[in-house]
Amino acid sequence: MPFYFKKGCSFIALSMLLIGSVSIAVKAKTLTIVDQHGRPVELAVIELLQPVKNDKPLQVAVMDQVNKQFEPKLLTIVKGQQVAFPNSDDIRHHVYSFSPIKPFELKLYAGTPKAPLTFEQSGVVVLGCNIHDSMVGYIYVAQSEAHFLTDVQGKVVLPDNTSSYLLWHPEQDKELGERSEHIWPQDNSHSKVEIELVTPAPRNTFGEMFKDSHGN
Amino acid sequence: MSLVARCQKVAIALSVMITVSGCQSTPTSLYHQVGEQAGLERLTDAFINQIGQDKVVFHYFKQTNVSHFRTGFISHMCAVLDGPCQYQGDNMVQIHTGMNISEYDFNHTVDLLIAAMNEVGISHPVQNKVLAKLAPMRRNIIKI
Ligand code: HEM
Repeated sequence: MPFYFKKGCSFIALSMLLIGSVSIAVKAKTLTIVDQHGRPVELAVIELLQPVKNDKPLQVAVMDQVNKQFEPKLLTIVKGQQVAFPNSDDIRHHVYSFSPIKPFELKLYAGTPKAPLTFEQSGVVVLGCNIHDSMVGYIYVAQSEAHFLTDVQGKVVLPDNTSSYLLWHPEQDKELGERSEHIWPQDNSHSKVEIELVTPAPRNTFGEMFKDSHGN
Repeated sequence: MSLVARCQKVAIALSVMITVSGCQSTPTSLYHQVGEQAGLERLTDAFINQIGQDKVVFHYFKQTNVSHFRTGFISHMCAVLDGPCQYQGDNMVQIHTGMNISEYDFNHTVDLLIAAMNEVGISHPVQNKVLAKLAPMRRNIIKI
């Protein structure tokens, strides 16, 4: 047993070394996003301002409805891409967007799929459900494939030629859909950016209205 | 004054109202007897509160948009009780499909509605007439 343990450890150490050397070879840039309390911010979208040419055919992306939630909560696509809205719940949903770049309403009844929608303009689309106000989702429509999401540690690895980028997060203290522009600090391989997050407004649900009677 | 005579009088008054203001409920309609729009609003608010305090069926409603439910429920009741409304929402089957509501939970919800009707002072004879309108909907609501 101790023998195996040791062997496992040295294997991990070796692979860490390897990963280290690979990332040095690629010379990527690492960006960390934190909030006003210094906490890492997950699911921030970083879009490079030098768009890459896209030659891959665009897949149909999926924004599903699962347990009265959007799944994923945040979907990133490229402009011109289609999004399907299946409904994995047994109940109906009335999904809507009031966002100027793509206003729509889709009544999704169980077992009757609707045709995918095409998102022609770049920007941010906020999704809701008329029936279930607890549901909030986002579609970020990027100019090109050159867009990235921060991980749980608030980190994202960007290409070495990154010089300027757009930053967006759904809970940012800004107009919804407003993105901030940033310049990469010269000669730095790391950069840390602080953004101000706000607690989302309470939803218009029975759960919210009667939370004192039921807890969470 | 006999009931018939009274009804005739009101009917005449009503026909004048119709020519003046267009669409109104007849004074004998259930819609009228529950207090028209304002009465339905009070009833629906009391019903929402009953559901909100309830342990048995609350889970069905937890994520439901209160304002949407309120508007839809009022307009549906108005149409069902022969009021001057065109209910534009989904039908009972579309709404309740997938909820798999048991008979027990259905009856319990009806009890909450009765409690709400008591709360806003709707008389028992009127309550019975309201329930008689709703009862046939049961098969379009439960176990789907
Ligand atoms: C005769 C009895 C019933 C009637 C007339 C009725 C009527 C309605 C109406 C008109 C709406 C739509 C409101 C809107 O437009 O948003 C609705 C929604 C709803 N009803 Fe019923 N209902 C009945 C019984 C029940 C029962 C027994 C349950 C569960 C125990 C239930 C659960 C719900 C829920 C959860 C919604 C909100 C929609 C959703 O969250 O998907 N209903 N009902």
